[in-house]
Amino acid sequence: MANMREIRTRIDSVKDTMKITNAMYLIASSKLRKARSGRDAVSPYFESLQETISDILDRSPDLEGTLFDNSSALSREKKEEIRRCYIVITSDKGLAGSYNHNVFKLADEYIAKGSDNTVCMIGYMARNYFAGNPNVKIDEEFIYPAAEPTGYRARGMAEHVIEKFNKNEFDEVYVLYTEMINSMTFEARAMKILPLSQNMFNRPRPAEGEKQKKASVIFSPSPVEVLSHIVPNYVKGLIYGAMVESYACEQSSRMSAMDNATTNAREMITELSLIYNRVRQAAITQEITEIVSGAQSQE
Amino acid sequence: MSTFNLEIVATDKIFYKGQCEFLVFPGIDGEHGILANHEPMVAAVKAGELRYTVDGEIRGAAVGDGFIEVSSEKVVVISDFAEKPEEIDIKRAERAKERAEERLRLKRSEKEYVHSQAALSRAMARLKVARKNMRQ
Repeated sequence: MANMREIRTRIDSVKDTMKITNAMYLIASSKLRKARSGRDAVSPYFESLQETISDILDRSPDLEGTLFDNSSALSREKKEEIRRCYIVITSDKGLAGSYNHNVFKLADEYIAKGSDNTVCMIGYMARNYFAGNPNVKIDEEFIYPAAEPTGYRARGMAEHVIEKFNKNEFDEVYVLYTEMINSMTFEARAMKILPLSQNMFNRPRPAEGEKQKKASVIFSPSPVEVLSHIVPNYVKGLIYGAMVESYACEQSSRMSAMDNATTNAREMITELSLIYNRVRQAAITQEITEIVSGAQSQE
Repeated sequence: MSTFNLEIVATDKIFYKGQCEFLVFPGIDGEHGILANHEPMVAAVKAGELRYTVDGEIRGAAVGDGFIEVSSEKVVVISDFAEKPEEIDIKRAERAKERAEERLRLKRSEKEYVHSQAALSRAMARLKVARKNMRQ
């Protein structure tokens, strides 16, 4: 059996760690409240943005290809590799359970699809993860913190990505983010944001007949002009929505991870105290036995 | 007067959802008016003043860049921001306008020029709507 002092220090160190995890739990839960109200405010926008864009695309089937000239991408598909760009949203700090890990797992799956990958990062955990990976290029100009997402920051990101896309540096752009399904379940998701294609949001396609009815929509003044205004706006909206969603998930999963850690620490302390008391009792018993046997030998 | 379903969605809230008789929005090529049974249309919205008529009463709002989709079921306006005239902080908008003008005068890179211009048009949109409200 371990000696008493060892167990004592062990208990103290577990107690100290528990103080930290408990404090982190409290911080995360107060941040979560803010993040969740932000998310609740943004999600109608995020959803109707996706709905409206996919509706517009459904109604204008011949639009594909004209927009942002993805005809070049289509021809390249046959010839060489597709150059993909991933905007990966992770947290700035660790200790958030499997939150970052799930995003990385999804990112690895996507990266394995091709050999020309560029990663744009939101959150510093991604930098540590992708550094030194020979299969990905890191866009050094695009590293943003994940905390407190703002529309202003999203606009900068959207401009950066669109500029590179227009310069034909990427063929496809994805956003990898975490979606909150309910307050306890999160799922890492990939969303293709560029080029526009009709099944980009994985929504059920309308039936053939319905599509016929839906088709035909006019663009005022002209499709090219309208889309050149809409697309930057929509890319910004999607990035912003994904950032807000991920941030709420991050806080939520950090909160539950820290809650688990605190519970575990408490269990550990109970177990250790039990062992400590047993050792202490054994030591006392031994001392008494020694005294008694010493006294007996004196008689 | 016949009405149609109107939804105005801003980044941070659903600004308006309900029936509307007449909608005027600032497009990139000037103002557009929408009545019930408009043909399906998609248009870009520029920062400016949006007006919608509900029960004969004309309501104004400042909106940011975005777009509008008109379909047979409903009209959806998606915009960076949407604010009621009484919600607008005139002082803040004035300061933003001054800042943007200052930056435009500096004549820096094209990217910054576009940014400043966008900031200027947002400030102008807010000021226009707020001042109009004050006069009434």
